[in-house]
Order: sequence, then C-alpha cells, then structure tokens
Amino acid sequence: MKSEKVHPPNLLLRFFRWYCHPKMLAYIEGDLIEVYERRLKKSGKRKANLLFVIDVLLLFRPGIIRPTEGYHQVNNYGMFKNYFKVGIRNILKYKVFSFINIFGLAVAMSVCMLIMLMLADQNRYDQFHEKKDRIYRILSDYEGSRQPYATSPFPLANTLKSEYTVVEETANLTPGVGGDVMYQQKFADMRGYFADPSFFSIFSFELEKGDEATALSNPRSMVISREIAYQLFNDENPIGKTVEFADRQLPFPQETDGVGAAPVSWGSFTITGVIDESRYVSHLKFDVLVSSSTRQSLIAEKKLDDLTNNWEWYFRTYTFALLEEGKNSSDLAVALTDLVTHQYANITTDQTKGFKLLPQKLGDVALGLAGNDTNNRLPLIGYSFLSLLALVIMVSACLNYTNLSIARALTRAKEIGVRKVTGALRKNLIFQFLSESIITALLALVMAIILMLIIAPAFKELWVNKYLNFELPSLPSVYLVFLGFALLIGVLAGLYPALYLSKHQPIKALKNLSHETPGKFGMRKVLGVSQFVISLLFITTSILIYNQFKHFISFDYGFNTHNIVNIELQGIDPERLSNELQGVPGVTTISACDVIPAAGRSNGNEVRRSGSNDEYFSNDLLLADENFMGNLGIKLTAGRNFTHEEPAQNILVNEAMVKQLGFKHSSEIVGEVLETKWGSEQFKVIGVVKDFRYRLLVNQHEIRPMMARNEPEHFEYLNVKLSSTDLMSTMTRLESTWKKIDPIHPFKYEFFDDQLQATHHAIFDIVAILGFISFLAIVIACLGLLGMATYTAERKTKEVGIRKILGAREYSIALLLSKGFLRMLAVSVLIGAPLSYIINNLWLQEFPNRVEFGLSTVLLGTFILLVLGILTIGSQTLRASKNNPVDALKME
Amino acid sequence: MKNYQLGEFEEIVILTVGILNNEAYSVAIKDEIESRLARTVSMGALHTALIRLEDKGYLKSCSGETTEDRAGRPRRYFEITALGKKAMLHAKETRDQLWKAIPKTVLEVKIS
Repeated sequence: MKSEKVHPPNLLLRFFRWYCHPKMLAYIEGDLIEVYERRLKKSGKRKANLLFVIDVLLLFRPGIIRPTEGYHQVNNYGMFKNYFKVGIRNILKYKVFSFINIFGLAVAMSVCMLIMLMLADQNRYDQFHEKKDRIYRILSDYEGSRQPYATSPFPLANTLKSEYTVVEETANLTPGVGGDVMYQQKFADMRGYFADPSFFSIFSFELEKGDEATALSNPRSMVISREIAYQLFNDENPIGKTVEFADRQLPFPQETDGVGAAPVSWGSFTITGVIDESRYVSHLKFDVLVSSSTRQSLIAEKKLDDLTNNWEWYFRTYTFALLEEGKNSSDLAVALTDLVTHQYANITTDQTKGFKLLPQKLGDVALGLAGNDTNNRLPLIGYSFLSLLALVIMVSACLNYTNLSIARALTRAKEIGVRKVTGALRKNLIFQFLSESIITALLALVMAIILMLIIAPAFKELWVNKYLNFELPSLPSVYLVFLGFALLIGVLAGLYPALYLSKHQPIKALKNLSHETPGKFGMRKVLGVSQFVISLLFITTSILIYNQFKHFISFDYGFNTHNIVNIELQGIDPERLSNELQGVPGVTTISACDVIPAAGRSNGNEVRRSGSNDEYFSNDLLLADENFMGNLGIKLTAGRNFTHEEPAQNILVNEAMVKQLGFKHSSEIVGEVLETKWGSEQFKVIGVVKDFRYRLLVNQHEIRPMMARNEPEHFEYLNVKLSSTDLMSTMTRLESTWKKIDPIHPFKYEFFDDQLQATHHAIFDIVAILGFISFLAIVIACLGLLGMATYTAERKTKEVGIRKILGAREYSIALLLSKGFLRMLAVSVLIGAPLSYIINNLWLQEFPNRVEFGLSTVLLGTFILLVLGILTIGSQTLRASKNNPVDALKME
Repeated sequence: MKNYQLGEFEEIVILTVGILNNEAYSVAIKDEIESRLARTVSMGALHTALIRLEDKGYLKSCSGETTEDRAGRPRRYFEITALGKKAMLHAKETRDQLWKAIPKTVLEVKIS
C-alpha cells in the first residue's frame, strides 16, 4: 500500500522546508501535501506536480521565508552583546593591564605587519602579464655554486624553441646596450637590452606608440622609454625617427658594476616604439630595447662579442620561455636536462662542471633572487630571518597577554562562579574570554596600524632600501589580511587563558580561588624566563654588531684616504684629464687606477712561478699608474716603483705575495717571473709594496696576494689629492675644468673617505634593525614584568599593611615582593648569558675581520637587562611598600 | 477612534473564516473562496493574509488534529477574535455609509 503512494517532488519539498519559517512549516507543508493528494486523484501526477511547483514558488515570499538573522540566534545576540560589554568594561576597569596588553600586542603586530607589507610589495612584481603562469626564467647552475645564476647561455633561447615542443615561445634578453643616444644635438644616457621580437608576445608590456608585433623585427630598431623619448623629441612623434647611438659599456642592469668606457659609435637606429615603462611593476627595467638582429652587424664590425654559439659563457643573457598550454615546470625541467646532456657532452670548462639549467616561474622571480639578477632584492632567506625575529616578538607579546590573564584569574573568579551557577556552560565561558582577547587584539590592531605608519617611512629611509626598492604601498587587501591576522592573534593569545579560566568548579571559584595559587613554578615562570632569555640574546647580539660596526669604521686599511677625491673618467683619456686638473689650484697629486680598493669592486687572476709545476693560486689584480702608491701613502719595501709608460709585464706585488711564493724577505722576490693561467703573458716583479686592503672588509679576512700593473688604457678613476682647506671651491674648479673637456657627461666624483664609510652602511642598517627589534623585545618583556609586579603588589596590599604596622622596614617589604621576580631574572641570566655567547660565536667565527667578542659584551648585555628588570620591578614594589598602612588596611 | 485596517483580500479571508465557523483551516478557506467567488487563490497569498491577520490580532489559531492525507502534519484552525469582529463591522459600516452617501441618480444612470 504505502509503496504505491506518490510523493510530491522531493527536491522542491526540501527547498520549501529550507526557506519556510520554522513556525509555520508543519501547517503549510500539511496544506501542500493535502492539496497535492487531491489534485493527484483528480487530474493525475503530471498536473499535480506542476501545480505543486507553482504553489511552492508562490509561497516564496516575505512573511513566509525565514528571517535571515536566524530565528534561533536571537538569544545568542544578547549574549554577544553582553560579552562585548563585559569585555569593554574589564578593559576600562584595569587600565594598566589593558594598556600593557594592548601596547605590547600593538608593537609586535606592527613589526609583523611591516614584514607582511614587504612581502605584499614583492608580490606586486610582474603580476600584469596575462600569461604569467606560463612564463619561466631559466637559471644556470654549476657544481659547487653558492646560488644559481639568473643568466643562461646565449644560444639557449633559440635551441630550446626549435628543438623542444614544450615551449611555445622563447625570448633572449641580453644586456649590453649602455651609452649616449643623440638626436639633433640632444643627448640622453640610456641602458637596456638586446631583445627578441618575441619579447612582446611573451610579456604583456604594451607600447604607447608603435606596434608590438613588428617593433623588434628589423635590425637597428629601438624601443625607447617614454622618459628618453621626452628628452630627445620633447613633443614630437618619435616613431620612424633616426637617432645616433654611441655605446659606452655603461653597466647594466646592476649600475654599480662599473663605470663604463670610451664611446664607440654604433651607427644609426630607427625608433619603432615608445613604452611607458614606469607603468609596470616588473623586475625588468630598461630605457631601451634594441632588436637582437642588430647584433649581427655589430659583430661584423667587431664592436660586440659573438655569443651566437657560445654555450660555455652564461653570465650575460636572460632567457625566458613561454610554455605550451597545459605544460608545467617539470616538463620544462625534463627538456632542459635533455638539452644540457646534448650540448654539454663535449664542453669541459671549470664553470660548466656539473652544469644544470633550471626553470624558475615568473611569479617566483621576485623572491627568488639569483646571481647576476636584474636588480637587488631581499632574498628569501632575508625574509625568513626577519619573519623569525618578528615571530619571536609576537610570541613574546602573546605570552604577556596569556600570562597576565591567567594571573588575574583570581580577580575574575567570582564572575566565573556566578556565570557558571546561573547556567553558563564551559564553552560559553571560553567564548566570553576569547571575545575579550579578540577585542583587545582589535584595539591593538588600530594602535599597530598607527605605529606602522610611523615605522614604515623610517624603514624606507634606511640605506639598504636604496638597493631593495621597497615602496610599501597601502593596498586595501593588505589591510584585510591585517584584520584576519589580528583576529588570529586574539584567538591564539586568548586560548590558553580561556581554557584555564573556564575550567574552575563553580563552588571553588565562588568560595576562594586564592588557595589554588595557580602554577607556582609552572607555565607562568617558564614564559617569563624565556622572554628574558630572548631579550638578553637580542641585547648581546646588538651590542656585538654595533662593536663590529665601530671596528670597521676605524679600520686601518693600510693606505691614506684623507682628502682624496675619486673622479670617474667616463671614457676620457686619463693622461689628458690629469694634465688639465693638475693646473687647478689646491690639487697636489693625481694618480689613476681601474678599481677603488676596498670599495666593493675587485679583479683577480691566477698565477704561478714561471716555468714551475706549482699549483696556480688566485690573486687580486690592480691596475694603477706610477703615482698611485705614493698618492695613497703605500710604502715601497723593496725594488722600485713604476715609471711613466712602464711596460705592462712589469708588476708590483704586495707582501702577501712574497709570503705566498715562499720568500722570507721582500727584496728576494724582485726580478722573479710569474705566468698566468690564461694566456702566455709573463710578469716580472719590479717592486714590493706593503699590504693594504683591496677587497671589502666583510668579504675577506686575510689580505690576499696582489699584483699591480700599469695599464693606462684600462684606468677608470683618477685619484686627486687635495691640499686646499677650502675643499668646496676646489671641487667647483675641478668641475668647471671637467666641463671644458667633456661638456656632455656630468662630473662624477666621490670622496674616498665617504666611499669607504658607505661600504659599512649595510652593517649599520643591520645594527639599526636588530637594535630596534631587541628594543621592542625588551620593552615587551619589561611590560610583562611590570604587569606581574603591579598585580602582585596589588594583591598583597593588605599583607604589606599588616607587616608595616608590625614594624617591617620598607626595603624588607620591597625585597619580599620582588624576591620571586629577582629569582626569575637570575635564572634568565644564567640561561641567557651562556646561550648568547655560544650562538653569537657560531656566526662570528665565519666573519672576516671580526671584533673581539668576549665576556665583556655578555656582561654588558646582562647588566642592561638586570638594570631594566630591577627598575621595572622596583617601581612597583617600592610604591607598594611606601603606602600608608592605614590606607591599605581600610581597603574593601 | 481605533484605526481598523483590513485589505480587500484580508476582508474576504476573514469573512470566509466566519462562514466556515470552527472548520476554518487553510485548505478549507481556499476551497470556500474559490467556490463562492470563482477566483483562484494561491497558497502563498492565503498564508500571507492569514499571518497578517493573526499579527493584527483579528484572528487566532490553534493546532488541530493530524490526518493521514496530510502525511501527519497538523491542521491549523482559525477563529475570529473580538477585535477581528470589530474590524469586520467597522469595514462593513464604513462601506454602508459610503453606499448611502452615493446619490441615487448616479446608480440609476449606471444601471440603465
């Protein structure tokens, strides 16, 4: 019987049940079924079904639909309101604790948020490319490298495209354009890449003027940036115009890599496109793109090295591949491995030992810094390190909250008891305490955002940011993340107190909780101690790095830099400029060299005693003229100095070279002949100079063997020593002399002293960042201590009063109140001091030219920590002990 | 003077509840209106009207017996409250007054 029964369409009935107001559900559903049954008998199933559908749909109207806020939640809303109200009242009632909590959380949150902003900043890079998910950069790696190179062999792009199906398109981007562009007596400085026509089909760069499809197709085509177009053509339309270009080998993409050379004319070029490059946030920045087909004619004119079939040398070209739809990075990796096995079977050079080509997704480029990269960015490890520091601070602030909340369980015990007795379940109480911590976290968020708006500009002002280019824009999405972050912190910080506070039996809570003395040596003390251990670690490390910084600042380089100005030659003949400048009043001596010692750049080669079978050893190479050593005050210990137009095979060496070759006295090496690993050149030692610093202090501990040669054609700087007391006017005179010789290029100079100082900026920034973070760590730890001390003093007001009346002295009371905390501090120092000594020694061992790190630094750190800790505790305990006992006893 | 609000459809519904007297539940009301007035009544419109009348206090309801043809769902019977009766009378009186106020000629012209 029953099985024959026909039901109304189930889906619609379910839909009806879902939307109908629960109060009326049963009646209306009954109606629907009754009418359905009737219609079924009268006019059959199909019609009944149809009418049922209409009925259900017509019932879907206001008045019958359940209210959206939920019919059942009405009561909970009231509870939430109550939680919120009680939470706010508690925050207002205990202002000191609330301030400690909110301030601590806010400080830590602002640091975390700053790091999130940095990450968000990096994630903006290269997001505008439509095909970004299929674009890969190809990295090169060899056995024993520190990190892969962002560059790859020149022929790779072509070979990959013609021989492998996994890629749809490849683009070869080779730097090497850097010089002066000229159009009707107007000049501009520009740097850029040789680019394949496929550049515009892979990337979504759009031309403001010109056609992307053909802009780079023909030889001698140029796509220039809007800025350059404005400098050369002002408001004229540049498309189709012919410009002259003279290459000066300006360093690109890393502008600090050199200073360029004398101009070489590359002939005329046609402008085929203008790109508003500033619109794009990309790791590729350029003033100009030159069609790669131009290379052939330049190679023919011997103005460019032919890399077309050079697989060994992979330090220049960037290769980008666009994968076929549906292929992924492992398909590309397989193709690359296959390519390497074919191409490198017969190539055996040092730099291709264990050679590998690796795909790197375009989205990973921003954080995946590789060697020879297009710009300087903070590598992933930097983020990890900063995040770790921020996390430590954050955890510390959360622990403060947890700690203080648990301690205040006593104060809240009655409330908990009453709530439980009137029927609150444990989960309700957990919810209540969590909502309190979330309110605190949200208040902290507001404060953190304000703090961050103060810190962020300071961070952007840091010297390193010149190289890292953080813009830290305020993106709305980031603020959403912050909100989520604040909620998470609220839950994390409040979870343990919520669980702990809601645990109590109502009867015990009402009677007296103070008998329980929660966690005498438990959680709370462990938390406090770990906070101070971390603080001590931070303090010691900051002091150490600061000492290291000071050590570098006053370092003895072995040469004299006072009043020496280094002038970039920018392709001008050193002798000519030197002769002109010599006439300027205030100039004493002028020398020339190729790199500035100890300022960052360096060259080297590998030599051995000529005709011997010794191992080659690497040494530093400096090109300098006959005045250089004298000008910098570097003493000659044996032999003679260069003469004017000294033959290039005659060299000066340093004392480290003497030792390296096994001679006892400098004079013994004079006349010795050396040979290099590359080429058949022979060098004859004509003199020995005292050791001086050639490389960066942070890069090298021992002074390495060095040789100097007199090769005027490679000089890049003049070192001008000034005697004048009025340096400014001498500089102006020097500049006007420069203008006479070279009216086009600006006069570029730096004082040697400043240049060396600048090499320590990075360390100074680390000191600043670490110092700031350790300051925060200490502030937060002290805040926690302050909270605990205040609380203890408050709880013991009566005890203090009674003791005083019975004749106790103030100091003995202060001691009584502080004893627990002092013990905690002592334990922290006992753990923290050896720990910071060991950890700092770990990295310092590897550090070149390190400062002495001994007990004194640790002791100083400990002293600072103790003073701050004792001040914090003392402020509260002394106040408590000084109170008039009558007031204390009258309380309640 | 209290303001008795009664819409046209609401008036029909409350009158039908009166006609059905103690037997007034949704389906019966629907059938009654459909047979007497020769118009179709959608379930949605009827229930909305009933809910509104109840909210205004003109009707009260109680849960009735469950029957097998309703798959065990109870019926909900409606009854007119005293306030409802007043509202009905008020509606009738105002109509009557209006009727009386119409000049006879108007109606005659219309009929002719």
